[in-house]
Amino acid sequence: MRSFITSVLLTAIVASPVVAQKPSADGTTRVSFASETVGREPKTFAPMVGSWVVSKEGDKKVLFIDGRVWKRGQPAGGLADKARELYGARNEEFIESVKAFAYYPIAVYKGLDNFENGEISVRFQMLGGALDRCAGILFNVKPNGDYLTVRYNGTEDNVVLWTFNNGVRKFVNRAPTLTPLELGTWHTLRISVHGTSLKSWLDDKPMHDYTLSAPVSGKIGVWSKTDSMVEFDEFTVKPEAK
Amino acid sequence: MMGNGGWGLGTGRSACLAFALLVATGATVSAQGAKKGASKSAVAACAINQSDAWVKRQAEWLDESKHDWKDDTLRTALLAAAGLTAPLKAPVQLGVHVEGREPQLGPTADAMTARLKASAAVRGSAWPGKALVGAAGMHAVFLLAQRDTGLARVALHRMMEAGPDESLAADVATLEDQFRLRQQGRKQLVGTQFNLDASGNVVLSPMEDSAHADLRREGSGLPPFRLGLCLAKQVK
Repeated sequence: MRSFITSVLLTAIVASPVVAQKPSADGTTRVSFASETVGREPKTFAPMVGSWVVSKEGDKKVLFIDGRVWKRGQPAGGLADKARELYGARNEEFIESVKAFAYYPIAVYKGLDNFENGEISVRFQMLGGALDRCAGILFNVKPNGDYLTVRYNGTEDNVVLWTFNNGVRKFVNRAPTLTPLELGTWHTLRISVHGTSLKSWLDDKPMHDYTLSAPVSGKIGVWSKTDSMVEFDEFTVKPEAK
Repeated sequence: MMGNGGWGLGTGRSACLAFALLVATGATVSAQGAKKGASKSAVAACAINQSDAWVKRQAEWLDESKHDWKDDTLRTALLAAAGLTAPLKAPVQLGVHVEGREPQLGPTADAMTARLKASAAVRGSAWPGKALVGAAGMHAVFLLAQRDTGLARVALHRMMEAGPDESLAADVATLEDQFRLRQQGRKQLVGTQFNLDASGNVVLSPMEDSAHADLRREGSGLPPFRLGLCLAKQVK
Protein backbone atom coordinates (compact mmCIF):
# COMPACT_ATOMS: atom_id res chain seq x y z
CA MET A 1 0.00 0.00 0.00
CA ARG A 2 2.81 2.36 0.97
CA SER A 3 4.54 1.83 -2.35
CA PHE A 4 1.36 2.54 -4.23
CA ILE A 5 0.70 5.71 -2.29
CA THR A 6 4.23 6.95 -2.71
CA SER A 7 3.96 6.14 -6.37
CA VAL A 8 0.95 8.40 -6.60
CA LEU A 9 2.93 11.07 -4.76
CA LEU A 10 5.85 11.01 -7.13
CA THR A 11 3.69 10.95 -10.20
CA ALA A 12 1.97 14.01 -8.88
CA ILE A 13 5.25 15.77 -8.23
CA VAL A 14 6.15 15.29 -11.85
CA ALA A 15 2.86 16.82 -12.83
CA SER A 16 3.16 19.76 -10.46
CA PRO A 17 4.14 23.24 -11.61
CA VAL A 18 7.89 23.62 -11.72
CA VAL A 19 9.99 26.70 -11.48
CA ALA A 20 12.09 26.44 -14.60
CA GLN A 21 15.85 26.33 -14.18
CA LYS A 22 17.41 26.62 -17.59
CA PRO A 23 20.16 24.16 -18.40
CA SER A 24 23.38 25.50 -19.85
CA ALA A 25 24.63 24.53 -23.30
CA ASP A 26 26.20 21.33 -22.01
CA GLY A 27 22.95 20.29 -20.32
CA THR A 28 23.96 21.25 -16.82
CA THR A 29 21.27 22.73 -14.60
CA ARG A 30 22.37 24.71 -11.57
CA VAL A 31 19.52 25.45 -9.21
CA SER A 32 19.50 28.98 -7.89
CA PHE A 33 17.50 30.20 -4.92
CA ALA A 34 18.10 33.85 -5.81
CA SER A 35 14.50 34.48 -6.81
CA GLU A 36 13.04 32.53 -3.89
CA THR A 37 11.56 34.07 -0.76
CA VAL A 38 13.55 33.86 2.46
CA GLY A 39 11.67 31.98 5.16
CA ARG A 40 9.48 30.13 2.68
CA GLU A 41 9.68 26.64 1.28
CA PRO A 42 11.58 26.49 -2.02
CA LYS A 43 9.65 26.42 -5.26
CA THR A 44 12.26 24.32 -6.98
CA PHE A 45 12.09 21.45 -4.48
CA ALA A 46 9.17 19.66 -2.92
CA PRO A 47 9.88 19.17 0.79
CA MET A 48 8.31 15.89 1.87
CA VAL A 49 9.78 15.46 5.32
CA GLY A 50 11.39 18.10 7.50
CA SER A 51 11.38 21.88 7.54
CA TRP A 52 13.09 23.00 4.34
CA VAL A 53 13.17 26.75 3.90
CA VAL A 54 15.06 29.31 1.89
CA SER A 55 17.38 31.25 4.15
CA LYS A 56 20.01 33.90 3.79
CA GLU A 57 23.68 33.20 4.40
CA GLY A 58 25.64 36.38 3.96
CA ASP A 59 24.27 37.95 0.82
CA LYS A 60 23.24 34.66 -0.74
CA LYS A 61 20.00 32.70 -0.59
CA VAL A 62 20.39 29.04 0.20
CA LEU A 63 18.24 26.05 1.07
CA PHE A 64 18.19 25.30 4.80
CA ILE A 65 17.01 22.14 6.52
CA ASP A 66 16.06 23.38 9.94
CA GLY A 67 16.51 20.54 12.42
CA ARG A 68 15.44 22.74 15.30
CA VAL A 69 11.87 21.93 14.50
CA TRP A 70 12.37 18.31 13.52
CA LYS A 71 10.15 15.76 15.17
CA ARG A 72 10.00 12.06 14.52
CA GLY A 73 7.08 11.16 12.30
CA GLN A 74 6.35 14.76 11.40
CA PRO A 75 6.22 15.41 7.66
CA ALA A 76 6.93 18.75 6.04
CA GLY A 77 4.68 21.64 6.94
CA GLY A 78 1.51 22.08 4.94
CA LEU A 79 1.50 18.45 3.93
CA ALA A 80 -2.27 18.28 3.77
CA ASP A 81 -2.45 21.16 1.29
CA LYS A 82 0.40 19.79 -0.75
CA ALA A 83 -1.13 16.34 -0.80
CA ARG A 84 -4.49 17.74 -1.82
CA GLU A 85 -2.87 19.73 -4.59
CA LEU A 86 -0.80 16.81 -5.74
CA TYR A 87 -3.01 13.81 -5.17
CA GLY A 88 -6.54 15.04 -5.17
CA ALA A 89 -8.87 12.54 -3.56
CA ARG A 90 -6.01 10.28 -2.55
CA ASN A 91 -4.36 12.87 -0.31
CA GLU A 92 -5.44 11.23 2.94
CA GLU A 93 -3.72 8.01 2.00
CA PHE A 94 -0.61 9.95 1.16
CA ILE A 95 -0.61 11.81 4.44
CA GLU A 96 -0.96 8.58 6.38
CA SER A 97 1.84 7.01 4.40
CA VAL A 98 4.26 9.88 4.92
CA LYS A 99 3.45 10.11 8.59
CA ALA A 100 4.11 6.42 9.00
CA PHE A 101 7.80 6.72 8.22
CA ALA A 102 8.66 10.41 8.27
CA TYR A 103 12.12 10.31 9.78
CA TYR A 104 14.68 11.48 7.24
CA PRO A 105 14.11 14.96 5.84
CA ILE A 106 13.96 14.87 2.05
CA ALA A 107 13.19 17.43 -0.61
CA VAL A 108 12.60 16.25 -4.17
CA TYR A 109 13.87 18.40 -7.05
CA LYS A 110 10.97 19.35 -9.28
CA GLY A 111 12.94 20.15 -12.39
CA LEU A 112 13.86 16.69 -13.60
CA ASP A 113 11.46 13.81 -14.12
CA ASN A 114 13.94 11.03 -14.43
CA PHE A 115 17.66 10.83 -13.78
CA GLU A 116 19.47 7.76 -15.09
CA ASN A 117 23.02 8.77 -15.98
CA GLY A 118 25.18 11.76 -15.32
CA GLU A 119 26.36 13.86 -12.41
CA ILE A 120 24.69 15.49 -9.45
CA SER A 121 26.45 17.75 -6.99
CA VAL A 122 25.52 20.05 -4.16
CA ARG A 123 27.37 22.44 -1.90
CA PHE A 124 26.58 22.20 1.77
CA GLN A 125 27.47 23.81 5.03
CA MET A 126 26.73 22.08 8.31
CA LEU A 127 25.55 24.44 11.00
CA GLY A 128 24.56 22.05 13.74
CA GLY A 129 22.42 19.26 15.09
CA ALA A 130 22.71 17.55 18.45
CA LEU A 131 22.08 14.08 17.05
CA ASP A 132 22.94 14.34 13.39
CA ARG A 133 24.63 16.63 10.93
CA CYS A 134 23.90 15.08 7.57
CA ALA A 135 23.91 16.34 4.02
CA GLY A 136 23.03 13.99 1.19
CA ILE A 137 22.19 13.67 -2.47
CA LEU A 138 18.90 11.89 -3.03
CA PHE A 139 18.57 9.86 -6.22
CA ASN A 140 16.88 6.85 -7.77
CA VAL A 141 13.65 7.97 -6.13
CA LYS A 142 11.15 5.40 -7.32
CA PRO A 143 7.43 5.74 -7.72
CA ASN A 144 7.00 3.36 -4.79
CA GLY A 145 9.04 5.66 -2.54
CA ASP A 146 12.27 3.66 -2.52
CA TYR A 147 15.42 5.67 -3.00
CA LEU A 148 19.19 5.83 -2.68
CA THR A 149 21.27 8.50 -0.99
CA VAL A 150 24.94 9.28 -0.78
CA ARG A 151 25.42 11.39 2.27
CA TYR A 152 28.08 12.97 4.43
CA ASN A 153 27.57 12.60 8.17
CA GLY A 154 29.35 15.16 10.31
CA THR A 155 28.92 13.08 13.45
CA GLU A 156 30.72 10.15 11.83
CA ASP A 157 32.97 12.04 9.42
CA ASN A 158 32.14 9.63 6.62
CA VAL A 159 30.39 9.33 3.28
CA VAL A 160 27.97 6.43 3.03
CA LEU A 161 25.61 5.04 0.42
CA TRP A 162 22.26 4.04 1.89
CA THR A 163 19.23 2.45 0.35
CA PHE A 164 15.67 2.94 1.53
CA ASN A 165 13.04 0.34 0.77
CA ASN A 166 9.53 0.65 2.14
CA GLY A 167 10.79 3.24 4.58
CA VAL A 168 13.51 0.94 5.93
CA ARG A 169 17.07 2.16 5.69
CA LYS A 170 19.85 -0.25 4.82
CA PHE A 171 23.57 0.33 4.71
CA VAL A 172 25.11 -0.33 1.31
CA ASN A 173 28.66 0.96 1.22
CA ARG A 174 30.91 3.22 3.26
CA ALA A 175 33.70 5.20 1.67
CA PRO A 176 36.95 4.13 3.34
CA THR A 177 38.19 7.64 4.03
CA LEU A 178 37.17 9.53 7.17
CA THR A 179 36.98 13.26 6.51
CA PRO A 180 36.27 15.53 9.47
CA LEU A 181 34.71 18.80 8.33
CA GLU A 182 34.33 21.91 10.43
CA LEU A 183 30.93 23.40 10.97
CA GLY A 184 30.30 26.68 9.22
CA THR A 185 32.42 25.79 6.21
CA TRP A 186 31.23 25.01 2.68
CA HIS A 187 31.92 21.71 0.97
CA THR A 188 30.84 19.90 -2.17
CA LEU A 189 29.34 16.43 -2.43
CA ARG A 190 29.18 14.97 -5.92
CA ILE A 191 28.08 11.72 -7.47
CA SER A 192 28.31 10.30 -10.96
CA VAL A 193 26.10 7.50 -12.23
CA HIS A 194 26.67 5.50 -15.38
CA GLY A 195 24.57 2.38 -15.58
CA THR A 196 25.32 0.52 -12.37
CA SER A 197 28.54 2.43 -11.76
CA LEU A 198 28.35 4.88 -8.89
CA LYS A 199 31.17 7.19 -7.93
CA SER A 200 31.20 9.89 -5.30
CA TRP A 201 33.49 12.71 -4.25
CA LEU A 202 33.73 14.98 -1.27
CA ASP A 203 35.45 18.23 -2.19
CA ASP A 204 36.82 16.46 -5.28
CA LYS A 205 38.34 13.74 -3.11
CA PRO A 206 37.22 10.29 -4.36
CA MET A 207 34.93 8.51 -1.92
CA HIS A 208 32.98 5.75 -3.67
CA ASP A 209 33.63 3.58 -6.67
CA TYR A 210 30.82 1.14 -6.35
CA THR A 211 28.72 -1.11 -8.51
CA LEU A 212 25.00 -0.88 -7.83
CA SER A 213 22.77 -3.92 -8.04
CA ALA A 214 20.64 -2.25 -10.72
CA PRO A 215 20.80 0.83 -12.95
CA VAL A 216 19.48 4.09 -11.57
CA SER A 217 16.20 5.54 -12.74
CA GLY A 218 14.15 8.03 -10.78
CA LYS A 219 13.83 11.49 -9.33
CA ILE A 220 16.53 13.31 -7.40
CA GLY A 221 16.86 15.78 -4.56
CA VAL A 222 18.50 16.48 -1.24
CA TRP A 223 18.50 14.42 1.92
CA SER A 224 19.21 14.95 5.58
CA LYS A 225 18.68 13.27 8.92
CA THR A 226 16.73 14.03 12.08
CA ASP A 227 17.80 17.29 13.74
CA SER A 228 20.52 18.24 11.24
CA MET A 229 20.87 21.93 10.47
CA VAL A 230 22.48 22.18 7.07
CA GLU A 231 22.50 24.74 4.30
CA PHE A 232 22.50 23.58 0.68
CA ASP A 233 23.45 25.57 -2.36
CA GLU A 234 24.32 25.13 -6.02
CA PHE A 235 22.40 21.92 -6.51
CA THR A 236 23.67 20.93 -9.93
CA VAL A 237 22.60 18.15 -12.24
CA LYS A 238 24.02 17.14 -15.56
CA PRO A 239 22.04 14.29 -17.08
CA GLU A 240 23.72 12.26 -19.78
CA ALA A 241 22.30 9.92 -22.37
CA LYS A 242 22.56 6.22 -21.69
CA MET B 1 13.58 27.62 45.84
CA MET B 2 13.84 25.16 43.05
CA GLY B 3 12.70 21.73 43.96
CA ASN B 4 15.29 19.35 42.70
CA GLY B 5 16.65 20.25 39.33
CA GLY B 6 19.71 18.34 38.25
CA TRP B 7 21.75 21.45 38.71
CA GLY B 8 19.57 22.87 41.39
CA LEU B 9 19.34 22.61 45.12
CA GLY B 10 17.20 19.51 45.38
CA THR B 11 19.73 17.15 43.91
CA GLY B 12 22.62 18.82 45.64
CA ARG B 13 25.34 16.46 44.57
CA SER B 14 24.60 16.82 40.90
CA ALA B 15 25.01 20.55 40.99
CA CYS B 16 28.52 20.23 39.67
CA LEU B 17 29.16 23.91 39.27
CA ALA B 18 27.82 24.80 42.65
CA PHE B 19 25.03 26.75 41.09
CA ALA B 20 22.24 27.40 43.45
CA LEU B 21 19.24 28.44 41.46
CA LEU B 22 16.64 30.46 43.25
CA VAL B 23 13.22 31.24 42.01
CA ALA B 24 12.78 34.95 42.13
CA THR B 25 9.62 36.84 41.47
CA GLY B 26 7.68 33.81 40.56
CA ALA B 27 8.86 32.80 37.13
CA THR B 28 12.43 33.93 37.17
CA VAL B 29 15.38 31.96 38.40
CA SER B 30 18.66 33.70 39.16
CA ALA B 31 22.07 32.20 39.35
CA GLN B 32 23.49 32.39 42.82
CA GLY B 33 26.83 31.47 44.20
CA ALA B 34 28.64 34.10 42.25
CA LYS B 35 32.26 34.83 42.87
CA LYS B 36 33.04 37.26 45.63
CA GLY B 37 32.88 40.73 44.24
CA ALA B 38 30.48 39.89 41.45
CA SER B 39 28.03 42.69 41.13
CA LYS B 40 24.31 42.31 41.54
CA SER B 41 23.85 43.42 37.97
CA ALA B 42 26.19 40.68 36.80
CA VAL B 43 24.14 38.11 38.65
CA ALA B 44 20.92 39.59 37.27
CA ALA B 45 22.31 39.27 33.77
CA CYS B 46 22.43 35.55 34.34
CA ALA B 47 18.73 35.32 35.09
CA ILE B 48 16.98 32.25 33.78
CA ASN B 49 13.38 32.78 32.85
CA GLN B 50 11.12 29.79 33.21
CA SER B 51 9.14 30.98 30.21
CA ASP B 52 12.14 30.87 27.89
CA ALA B 53 11.77 28.37 25.06
CA TRP B 54 14.84 26.37 26.02
CA VAL B 55 13.64 25.96 29.61
CA LYS B 56 10.17 24.97 28.46
CA ARG B 57 11.64 22.48 26.04
CA GLN B 58 13.63 20.82 28.80
CA ALA B 59 10.57 20.91 31.07
CA GLU B 60 8.48 19.22 28.41
CA TRP B 61 11.05 16.50 27.95
CA LEU B 62 11.45 16.02 31.71
CA ASP B 63 7.72 15.67 32.35
CA GLU B 64 7.27 12.29 33.98
CA SER B 65 3.74 12.75 35.16
CA LYS B 66 2.61 9.67 33.25
CA HIS B 67 5.10 7.43 35.03
CA ASP B 68 5.42 5.45 31.85
CA TRP B 69 8.98 4.17 32.13
CA LYS B 70 9.32 0.41 32.02
CA ASP B 71 12.22 -0.52 34.29
CA ASP B 72 11.76 1.02 37.70
CA THR B 73 14.53 -1.05 39.25
CA LEU B 74 17.16 0.15 36.80
CA ARG B 75 15.87 3.71 37.02
CA THR B 76 16.14 3.70 40.80
CA ALA B 77 19.67 2.33 40.60
CA LEU B 78 20.66 4.96 38.03
CA LEU B 79 19.27 7.80 40.11
CA ALA B 80 21.09 6.55 43.20
CA ALA B 81 24.33 6.22 41.26
CA ALA B 82 24.05 9.75 39.91
CA GLY B 83 22.92 11.23 43.19
CA LEU B 84 19.63 12.41 41.75
CA THR B 85 16.21 12.65 43.27
CA ALA B 86 13.24 12.55 40.93
CA PRO B 87 11.27 14.30 39.67
CA LEU B 88 13.71 16.70 38.08
CA LYS B 89 12.73 20.26 37.43
CA ALA B 90 13.84 22.18 34.36
CA PRO B 91 16.36 23.35 33.55
CA VAL B 92 18.59 20.40 34.39
CA GLN B 93 21.12 21.14 31.68
CA LEU B 94 22.57 24.64 31.49
CA GLY B 95 25.37 23.61 29.17
CA VAL B 96 28.09 24.87 31.48
CA HIS B 97 30.76 22.39 32.45
CA VAL B 98 34.06 23.49 33.92
CA GLU B 99 36.91 21.02 33.64
CA GLY B 100 37.84 19.75 37.06
CA ARG B 101 34.53 20.71 38.62
CA GLU B 102 32.89 17.35 38.27
CA PRO B 103 29.51 16.55 39.73
CA GLN B 104 29.39 14.72 43.02
CA LEU B 105 27.75 11.42 42.29
CA GLY B 106 26.25 8.69 44.46
CA PRO B 107 28.23 5.93 46.21
CA THR B 108 27.23 3.37 43.58
CA ALA B 109 28.40 5.49 40.65
CA ASP B 110 31.45 3.34 39.89
CA ALA B 111 29.48 0.11 39.96
CA MET B 112 26.75 1.51 37.72
CA THR B 113 29.31 2.94 35.31
CA ALA B 114 30.93 -0.48 35.03
CA ARG B 115 27.54 -2.10 34.53
CA LEU B 116 26.61 0.27 31.72
CA LYS B 117 29.96 -0.18 30.02
CA ALA B 118 29.70 -3.96 30.23
CA SER B 119 26.23 -3.82 28.76
CA ALA B 120 27.32 -1.56 25.94
CA ALA B 121 30.21 -3.87 25.10
CA VAL B 122 27.74 -6.54 24.01
CA ARG B 123 26.82 -5.84 20.41
CA GLY B 124 23.10 -5.30 19.97
CA SER B 125 22.46 -5.19 23.69
CA ALA B 126 19.71 -3.09 25.17
CA TRP B 127 20.62 0.40 26.24
CA PRO B 128 18.64 2.62 28.60
CA GLY B 129 16.39 5.17 27.00
CA LYS B 130 13.66 7.43 28.23
CA ALA B 131 11.07 4.78 27.50
CA LEU B 132 12.93 2.35 29.76
CA VAL B 133 14.17 4.47 32.66
CA GLY B 134 12.37 7.78 32.25
CA ALA B 135 13.76 11.26 31.77
CA ALA B 136 15.45 11.37 35.16
CA GLY B 137 17.05 7.99 34.51
CA MET B 138 18.49 9.26 31.25
CA HIS B 139 19.86 12.40 32.87
CA ALA B 140 21.51 10.09 35.38
CA VAL B 141 23.16 8.22 32.50
CA PHE B 142 24.47 11.55 31.22
CA LEU B 143 25.93 12.50 34.60
CA LEU B 144 27.69 9.15 34.87
CA ALA B 145 28.98 9.33 31.31
CA GLN B 146 30.28 12.83 31.82
CA ARG B 147 32.90 11.68 34.27
CA ASP B 148 34.01 8.46 32.56
CA THR B 149 35.59 8.66 29.13
CA GLY B 150 34.86 5.02 28.28
CA LEU B 151 31.22 5.34 29.15
CA ALA B 152 31.00 8.72 27.45
CA ARG B 153 32.07 7.18 24.16
CA VAL B 154 29.44 4.44 24.15
CA ALA B 155 26.74 6.54 25.76
CA LEU B 156 27.12 9.29 23.18
CA HIS B 157 26.94 6.79 20.35
CA ARG B 158 23.88 5.09 21.80
CA MET B 159 22.14 8.35 22.61
CA MET B 160 22.63 9.67 19.09
CA GLU B 161 21.51 6.40 17.61
CA ALA B 162 18.35 6.27 19.72
CA GLY B 163 17.25 9.77 18.71
CA PRO B 164 15.76 12.76 20.48
CA ASP B 165 12.83 10.91 22.00
CA GLU B 166 15.13 8.87 24.18
CA SER B 167 17.73 11.38 25.39
CA LEU B 168 17.69 15.05 26.28
CA ALA B 169 19.25 16.87 23.34
CA ALA B 170 20.95 19.34 25.70
CA ASP B 171 22.65 16.41 27.48
CA VAL B 172 23.76 14.89 24.19
CA ALA B 173 25.19 18.19 22.95
CA THR B 174 27.04 18.77 26.21
CA LEU B 175 28.45 15.26 26.20
CA GLU B 176 29.57 15.57 22.59
CA ASP B 177 31.39 18.82 23.31
CA GLN B 178 33.23 17.14 26.16
CA PHE B 179 33.95 14.05 24.08
CA ARG B 180 35.44 16.08 21.23
CA LEU B 181 37.69 18.07 23.52
CA ARG B 182 38.83 15.25 25.77
CA GLN B 183 39.01 12.27 23.46
CA GLN B 184 39.27 13.55 19.93
CA GLY B 185 41.39 16.63 20.39
CA ARG B 186 38.83 18.59 18.39
CA LYS B 187 37.06 21.84 19.12
CA GLN B 188 33.68 21.84 20.83
CA LEU B 189 30.58 22.69 18.83
CA VAL B 190 28.01 24.12 21.19
CA GLY B 191 30.11 25.97 23.76
CA THR B 192 29.38 24.01 26.92
CA GLN B 193 32.91 23.29 28.05
CA PHE B 194 35.05 25.66 30.07
CA ASN B 195 38.32 25.47 31.91
CA LEU B 196 40.18 27.52 34.46
CA ASP B 197 43.17 29.62 33.44
CA ALA B 198 46.24 30.14 35.60
CA SER B 199 44.49 32.93 37.47
CA GLY B 200 41.48 30.79 38.19
CA ASN B 201 39.25 32.52 35.69
CA VAL B 202 36.67 30.48 33.82
CA VAL B 203 37.44 30.53 30.10
CA LEU B 204 35.70 28.94 27.15
CA SER B 205 37.46 25.89 25.72
CA PRO B 206 38.27 26.00 21.99
CA MET B 207 35.16 26.16 19.86
CA GLU B 208 34.24 25.65 16.22
CA ASP B 209 32.09 28.05 14.19
CA SER B 210 31.00 30.32 17.02
CA ALA B 211 29.08 32.39 14.46
CA HIS B 212 26.25 29.84 14.41
CA ALA B 213 26.54 28.87 18.08
CA ASP B 214 23.11 30.11 19.06
CA LEU B 215 21.47 28.20 16.25
CA ARG B 216 23.01 25.00 17.55
CA ARG B 217 22.22 25.84 21.14
CA GLU B 218 18.61 26.52 20.30
CA GLY B 219 18.47 23.24 18.43
CA SER B 220 19.80 21.45 21.49
CA GLY B 221 17.54 23.19 23.97
CA LEU B 222 20.38 25.10 25.63
CA PRO B 223 20.38 28.73 26.74
CA PRO B 224 21.70 31.37 24.35
CA PHE B 225 25.47 31.60 24.20
CA ARG B 226 25.55 34.92 25.98
CA LEU B 227 23.63 33.51 28.94
CA GLY B 228 25.81 30.41 28.99
CA LEU B 229 28.96 32.53 29.18
CA CYS B 230 27.39 34.63 31.89
CA LEU B 231 26.46 31.55 33.91
CA ALA B 232 29.93 30.12 33.49
CA LYS B 233 31.46 33.22 35.00
CA GLN B 234 29.32 32.76 38.08
CA VAL B 235 30.92 29.44 38.89
CA LYS B 236 32.59 29.35 42.27
